[in-house]
Amino acid sequence: MLNYIIRRVGYLFVTLIFVMVIGFVIIELPPGSYLEFELQRIRLLGGDLSQAQIKALEIQYGVNDPIYLKFWKWISRFVTGDFGESFEYNMPARTLVFARLPFTIIISVLTLIFSWTVSIVVGVYSATHRRTALDYTITVFQFIGLSVPAFLLALVVMVFAQRTLGLHVGGLYSDQFVNAPWSWDKFVDLLKHIWIPIVVIGAHNTAWLSRVMRSNLLDVLGMQYVQTARSKGLLERRVIWKHAVRNALHPLVMVLGMSLPAIISGETVVAIVLNLPTTGPLYFRALLQQDMYLAASFLVFLAITLLIGNLLADILLAWLDPRIRFE
Amino acid sequence: MEAKTANGQPPVLSINNLKTYFFTDLGVSRALNGVSFDVPYGRVMGLVGESGCGKSVTSLSVMRLVPKPGRIVEGSIIFNRGERTKDGYKVIESVEMTELEANGPKARSIRGAEMGMIFQEPMTSLNPSYTVGNQVAETIILHQDVNRREAMDRAVDIVGRVGLPNPADLVKRYPHELSGGMRQRAMVALALSCRPALLFADEPTTALDVTTEAQILDLMRELQGEMGMTIVFITHNLGVVAQMCDTVGVMYLGRIVEMADVETLFYDPKHPYTAALLRSIPHVGSTTKERLAPIRGVVPDPYATINGCPFHPRCDSFMPGVCDAAVPAETNIGDGHMVRCLLYSDKGEVEDNG
Amino acid sequence: MTEAVPTLPREELIAEPVSEVGLMSQWRLMALRFRRNALAMIGLIGLIIGYTIIALAPFLGPNDYLRQDSNYVSGPPTPIVFHDQTGKFTLRPHAMAITTELDPVAFKFKYVKDESTYHPIKFFVKGDPYTLLGFIKSDIHLFGLDAPNRVYPFGADPLGRCMMTRVLMGGQISMTVGLLGVAMSIIFGSIMGTASGYYGGMIDDVMQRVIEIIASFPTVPLWAALAAALPKSSSTFTPLHRYFLITVILSLVNWTGLARQLRAKVMSYSNSDFTMAALAAGANDRRIIFIHMLPNAASHIIVVAALAIPGMILGETQLSFLGLGIMPPLVSWGALLKDAQQVSVVLQQPWLIIPGVAVIITVLLFSFLGDGLRDAVDPYSI
Repeated sequence: MLNYIIRRVGYLFVTLIFVMVIGFVIIELPPGSYLEFELQRIRLLGGDLSQAQIKALEIQYGVNDPIYLKFWKWISRFVTGDFGESFEYNMPARTLVFARLPFTIIISVLTLIFSWTVSIVVGVYSATHRRTALDYTITVFQFIGLSVPAFLLALVVMVFAQRTLGLHVGGLYSDQFVNAPWSWDKFVDLLKHIWIPIVVIGAHNTAWLSRVMRSNLLDVLGMQYVQTARSKGLLERRVIWKHAVRNALHPLVMVLGMSLPAIISGETVVAIVLNLPTTGPLYFRALLQQDMYLAASFLVFLAITLLIGNLLADILLAWLDPRIRFE
Repeated sequence: MEAKTANGQPPVLSINNLKTYFFTDLGVSRALNGVSFDVPYGRVMGLVGESGCGKSVTSLSVMRLVPKPGRIVEGSIIFNRGERTKDGYKVIESVEMTELEANGPKARSIRGAEMGMIFQEPMTSLNPSYTVGNQVAETIILHQDVNRREAMDRAVDIVGRVGLPNPADLVKRYPHELSGGMRQRAMVALALSCRPALLFADEPTTALDVTTEAQILDLMRELQGEMGMTIVFITHNLGVVAQMCDTVGVMYLGRIVEMADVETLFYDPKHPYTAALLRSIPHVGSTTKERLAPIRGVVPDPYATINGCPFHPRCDSFMPGVCDAAVPAETNIGDGHMVRCLLYSDKGEVEDNG
Repeated sequence: MTEAVPTLPREELIAEPVSEVGLMSQWRLMALRFRRNALAMIGLIGLIIGYTIIALAPFLGPNDYLRQDSNYVSGPPTPIVFHDQTGKFTLRPHAMAITTELDPVAFKFKYVKDESTYHPIKFFVKGDPYTLLGFIKSDIHLFGLDAPNRVYPFGADPLGRCMMTRVLMGGQISMTVGLLGVAMSIIFGSIMGTASGYYGGMIDDVMQRVIEIIASFPTVPLWAALAAALPKSSSTFTPLHRYFLITVILSLVNWTGLARQLRAKVMSYSNSDFTMAALAAGANDRRIIFIHMLPNAASHIIVVAALAIPGMILGETQLSFLGLGIMPPLVSWGALLKDAQQVSVVLQQPWLIIPGVAVIITVLLFSFLGDGLRDAVDPYSI
């Protein structure tokens, strides 16, 4: 087991290097450079620079350096915690990333827990009550959940809440708590708000996972060992939960690697509509404004979050399925 | 009620006119269409037949494990609960299995404790997520008043008795670490962990190679004598039948068409189907010029209804106007030899599927 | 238990096949299973209708999709009734007139229904000129009002453009993005998946790592980053170029799923008897891949492709919603929804969400189709 984990961590670092390369490419892809942006800003402020001054700045920023040297400079600064400057906000990208990332992680993890719990319960129910009215109803909701883009669902929920309930549901806190220091009241207020993004972001994933769970469980229920369990005289409930569900779960853990990126994706987009203080709104704005150091930092950190999530999923899978552990 | 049978022992299992149908979207499939037989204590009853003849459904019906959309529609299954004494089996209670709730407490207390089952596929009949010991001990904890430790000790004991090496270590292994033969031994251990009076073995050696097959059969014979078990042995392999069984029932399309003790059946088959089955297998001493005779045609669609004897379309002794008119009834031709064929009796069944 | 099953004569019972199912080819069997699936057929027929509608979009829409009506900025949908001024029932639908009024309090123009004026809706009327299917020039619309009145069945956007025509035109982009993108993913994914599954070893290792790296990014942010790197619109880089590159970007991330599934299939085929037989018969790699493996995997490729289309459509919708996808003058459903980013706007002009309904219906139909195809190809996978 320990060997397995060490090997996975090794993979993680290899992947991480490539993630950094892609992050770097993203910075370099758009036409124009950091320096040009700076010059524009200075000119805008009314200043002017001589050719020699520009030359000096070019050397300082390494504009004409070969690409590998640029990469090396960027990555060596990155690992020391210097992610570059955000032009738009005129502050280190690091400050902005670390202010926003925790909320993305918290919401994503909560969404994951929510959608797993619901999809296991719903999946088990609909697999064991196949072709009943409730199973068909669940199927209808699953199809709808799979077809509605999360941001649209967010819009509909907000409009509904505002129009029929008269509630303002955007954000994570009520107005009076936004800038307040942490307190029990603020925490309760957070709980009152956070379930909406969780349900909205999780809807798609829940619909998908519960379908996966249903079909996995149906497969497993047809397995010989389920019949063996029944032939022991076990309670049907125990046959389902101990013998069938346990085996239906590991394909679900395997798709965890796919549902995590989907959740983070959904979170970033939904955050714009729901006005959440997470990475999404800032990241997409940075892309639109070509604020590339900020955008790249966000992207790299989203990827790192995912990589760690996948590592945990792999470990969970190995724990669940002895065949992988002894591979 | 306490009818004595051939060997002077009461029947452990007594099935009468059992009908189990599957109600599918395509129609009604009559998997069992009037099956009757008794299995005396300490005997091995063989059920043979081609795929789809209802062998497995018989055992599932008795265990009350018929999967949906199947249902027992008629007939009775009497299971005699009892205890094994020096001079045989003492019946304590006769349970009508068909009247029990399939997943009710009584059916469950019988399943696994007094009736065990071994399945065909050793590769898939053990749960891949739990150790062998866990799975064996689960049955023991369920049916016997023991704690986890004691259950595990008993599991080690039974795993040793089925001939698995180093049982104390083996119970900690997962099924995928064992070979097919070892898994089937583990499955035998699991089925026998509570010393059931009745064991169903559903093609337990079909998926194994010949050497392993012989070992498993020996093991089952040995444990049968040792534990005083009654076995219903389901197979399509007549060689295995000859080796294992005392009595044999030949099934065709949900009915037993011939039943006799194993010697009689092999040397004096009466039903044309039995005779054809026997002709279709090679035997030692046959000359090279002798060709094996396959049975003509295929087993008909289970949804189709055939007038008269279900075997008549494939039968060599077909009598026009007779065999396609009436369904032959069970005819006793002496010495516990039963046959359903109009060659031996002109009695057709009164009520039937027509 | 009397069953209406016909009893066959003895001769026919001996004749081997009991039903003709055993004799059907693989493809005919799949077609049969597909036709029996009601949802799948709804998906197929619905999509055929959908594609017909978007092909005829400029004809079906009552106005030109770019025409800005400064008198009808953010105007509500025109109420359509089946009676005239006198309140008498007519078979011909009538459009209620809408007038603008200055709200003295908010000091804003607001639209008021004029319950006394009704314009009859005419069919095949002359209207804005358009080009159908890229070559048919016409100015006849399926329905409309006599000039100068105009009908806006879905209302108008904040620039006063007809939402209905824009939704129909947006379909031309949104409903083709998925097809094009998936087509590209298939080509890419098939090559990579087959190569990696068949040759294994180094090639397989490298591809597995590449897939892992791509999969380690959250999809939409990665798409967005790539889309943000596209050049700004100019004479050499038109919105149409952008549209094609967006589909490339979508498939660049999407091919991995297909490659992964195909790899698993090909690997299982590599160990199968028919491949062994072909190898023993002296077939070379190319022959085995193209003659023996791909035809066997074809049905799976189709299923995976059909199931990938909804993801592509939703991808485009999200990108354009963020302002990183399709650019004007082209419209897509996502681009139209961009106007509806603010809840306050949606509260005022709920008709801006109509493109979302179109997205949901299309994705739903594709899901039905994909599920139906999967069940038809592999009935045991449930």
